[in-house]
Parts: sequence; structure tokens; C-alpha cells
Amino acid sequence: MPGTVATLSPARLLLWLYGLLVVGLPVAGLAYALLGSVGLAGPLAAGFTGRYWRALGADTGLLYAALYSAWVAVASVGISTGLALLLVLWAQPTLRRPPLPALLYVPLLMPSLVVAFYLFQLLSRAGWLSRLSFRFGLTANLEDFPELVQDGPGVGIILAQVLLSFPFLTLLFQAIYQESRLAEYYQLTLTLGASAAQFRRRVAVPVLLRQAAPTLLLSFIATLGAYDIPLLLGRPYPQMLSVYIATRLQRFDLRELPSAYLAGFLVAAGLLGLIGLLRLTGRARDTASVP
Amino acid sequence: MLTVANLSKQFGGQPVLRNVSLVLNQGEVLAVLGRSGGGKTTLLKILAGLEAPDAGTLHLRGQDLGPVPPNERQMVYLYQEPLLFPHLTVFENVAFGLRIRRVAQVEITAQVTALLDELDLREQAQKAPYQLSGGQRQRVSFGRALIIRPRLLLLDEPFGNLDAQTRADMQQLFLRVSRQHQITSLFVTHDSREALTVGTRFAYLDEGQLTSFASVAAFVEDARTAIGSELAFWESVQQKRNMII
Repeated sequence: MPGTVATLSPARLLLWLYGLLVVGLPVAGLAYALLGSVGLAGPLAAGFTGRYWRALGADTGLLYAALYSAWVAVASVGISTGLALLLVLWAQPTLRRPPLPALLYVPLLMPSLVVAFYLFQLLSRAGWLSRLSFRFGLTANLEDFPELVQDGPGVGIILAQVLLSFPFLTLLFQAIYQESRLAEYYQLTLTLGASAAQFRRRVAVPVLLRQAAPTLLLSFIATLGAYDIPLLLGRPYPQMLSVYIATRLQRFDLRELPSAYLAGFLVAAGLLGLIGLLRLTGRARDTASVP
Repeated sequence: MLTVANLSKQFGGQPVLRNVSLVLNQGEVLAVLGRSGGGKTTLLKILAGLEAPDAGTLHLRGQDLGPVPPNERQMVYLYQEPLLFPHLTVFENVAFGLRIRRVAQVEITAQVTALLDELDLREQAQKAPYQLSGGQRQRVSFGRALIIRPRLLLLDEPFGNLDAQTRADMQQLFLRVSRQHQITSLFVTHDSREALTVGTRFAYLDEGQLTSFASVAAFVEDARTAIGSELAFWESVQQKRNMII
């Protein structure tokens, strides 16, 4: 109605536009991908068909990409979380004085592609470490140097993700440590008879992980959907999800597009479902504990 | 039982405790009155083993506490805030000291349930700390300390954040439980009324110097405690009230 538009304040209008941008467009994209996967949208749309969905059972590529991405995300977030916890719980004095706090911000300033490129230069068989080991006689030829990038288990990708996320998680855990007054809890638990290890295991780690859980989940999802790092440091097979989908979308054969739409739709829907499930579980737990 | 002799402590060249000495017998509650920044918290932290003194000695039942780490002193330090573990239920908060001592589950259940009953917290056993009122939280904190049968309880203005009524209730609860369990305590407060309510012995700490009083009368009469001036104030209020009536 024109009257309604006329009464909208500029701030409200901006809010609506922002909502459209962050919710409307992704939902529209998701809907377009779903329609594309059943032959109702896209350059070669020729009416409804379920053959791309049926073909999913025979195509193991998407499943492998999903499993490989899950492995990389679990390993990256797990290692980063472990390292950050180690620093926060065992190196409090070092974390509180220069230069470590400033140094932790440095990786956060670097674009992920730069980190990936740096690691490629450092760790590839033609890279600096390989050359140094050859120069010092540790390896006799290129093949003797272990495959650390573009490798099967994804060591290079995991290393790059850890390098980017562990400083961020350290700063997050440190902020939670201070806000939750864990230093005072430490003193209290000592007087209750606990050792430092018991304080860490029974109090500090549960408090830190519970409070950081939403951010850890977001880190997991971001790693799962990472593109530029696996593009540079990953192998053509297995591929991470984003590279797998992008490769299929960019193929010259337009008949491949519906199955790429289908893969994109399933990944996005799966992630949204995961977030929804975790929110529901959290809400149910909160409701159950209310008197 | 507890003997403190010539305890001194400085921070950055600034003396915080100066030759503090005191003796505390089993079951006594030493109420230490003093203004903020007088060294009360430092005294408690040194007793708990959380700070090291620059000079002086501490003995508990004849044992030199100097080399004993805080987790082996069996002396619980209670903060002004209850500091309940946010990830644990009321039951598990109270059970904490027994869990870390690897006490059998049956024993834990029996001891914690009995203590929750005593502190009127049975109904709250499975609640999270954020679901409790301020007074209930302090009772849980108190129960968590009592469960390990501390040799000495160190209370740092524990009821300072409570409203007047809850504070009075907690003081009565503290009195009842400490008499029942014969708990020896050092109770720091800046409230003279609270000191008189909970204490069986009295001291005044200011600028790092501790003055112990032989009797309640001596404590009340000392001008530094300001109890005399407060009494005079209430007497004048009473006189005005009588004149109006």
C-alpha cells in the first residue's frame, strides 16, 4: 500500500532492505537452487524432473566431499580449540604481557588466500622447507620430502585454517576467562582442595567451552564452507564442498548445472538444519532446567 | 588453635599488613572490622595460602602453614560474591569438594542431601545457579565450603551484596550452622552491627594494623569502630521520637 510505504521511517526502510539482503537473497538463492535441481530453473530448464535427485544415489562425489569437508572442519576447529585452551589455561602470565597479545592479532589481519599462498611456498615439495632440507642433506630428492600441501589427508588445508582460527579462539577464550572471573574461581577451588589440573578440567574448560560454543559452531561452519584455502592447498580429489560445487557450476557442460544446484542446495539446507537442530536442543535444555 | 605472629606484607613498597598477630581457638568466630583498603582481604588471602607474607609465621594446631599449599590447608576462602560454578547444579556445586577428593557416590549423595536439608536448599538441588536468589546463592556457597569440614573458614564480607533482610537471615544462618558444626572462622566485615552479630571475638584492622579486643565492651568503646557514635545517633533519634509522642 502506498500509505504504508509513506509512513516508513528511513531507519525502518533501511532495516527492511538489510533484512532483504541478509535473509531474502540467500533464501531466494536457495529456492533457485532447489528449482534448478528439479529442472524448473536455469538455462536448460525443461520442466519438472526428479532424475538429478535420483542420480544422487549413484554419485559418491558429493558424499566424499561432505565427509572430507567434515574431517577438515573437525580437525581444524579441534586443533585450534586445543591450542587456544592450552595457551589460556597454561600461559596466563605470557598472555597478559607484550608481545604475545599483539602477535595474536597479526594472523587475523591476513587474508586467507595470503596465508594459503604463504604455506604453499613454505611446505610444498618445491618450497622453502623442502629446499632447505635438500641443502642440509636431510632429503636426497623432491619425493623424499613429505607431502604437506595438496595432500590426501588435507594437512596443508588444516594447517592454514588452524593458523587463521587459533589466534582468534585464543583471544575469545582469554576474554571469557577474564569476564567469567576464572582467576578468582581458581583461587576458590584451590582453597576447596582442588589441584590446578582439577580446576582446569572441572571448572575452566567446561566454562570456556560452554560460553564459546556458538562461536565454535560458526568456526566449524565457516571451515566447512571455506573456498580459497582448499582451492590452493587441496587436491583435485578429494575436494572440499565449496570447491566441489564451484567446479561443477563452472563446467562448460550446462547439463551439469542442475546437479551442481542440487549439491549447493543440499549443503546449505544441511547446514541450516544443523544450526536449527542445535538451537532447538539448546532451547529444550534451557526449558527443562527452568523451575 | 590458629596462631598468627608478626605478619607483614607490602605491595610495591606500600605496607598493607604491619606485624599482625592473633590467636583463634576452636569454634571461635573472630569478627574483623575495618574500612576498605585496610588490609582485610590480604590478611585472609595470606591465611588461605593465596598470598605469601613478607614476614611472620602462621601455625594451625601446631602445624607451620608456611610450606603448606592452599589446596592442602583445608581453609576455605569465601568471597563477597558466591562464585558458584555456572555449569553445575546446586547439588554438584555443593558436592564439588567431595568429588575432587574422590569420595564414593553413595557417601556424596548422603552428605550433600543432608547439608542441603540443613541449609533449606533441598528443593533447589537440581537448579542452575542463575535460577537462585542472592540469599540462596550464598547458602549454596556456604554449603560448598562446609561440606569439606574446613579447619578454618575465611569470610570476606560474604553478605555484603545482599539486601538488609536477606543479610540478617544469612547472619542468623551462619550463627546457627557455625555453632552446630563448631566451625572456627575469621569473618571480615565493614559493618559493625554484622561484626557484633556474628563474632564471638572482635578485632579492628586499619592501615595494616590489627587491634584485638578482650571483650565486646572494649570493642564497642573503641572510637575507631564508630559503634559508640552510632549508638549515640540512635539514642538521639529515640529521644526525638519520645519528645514528639
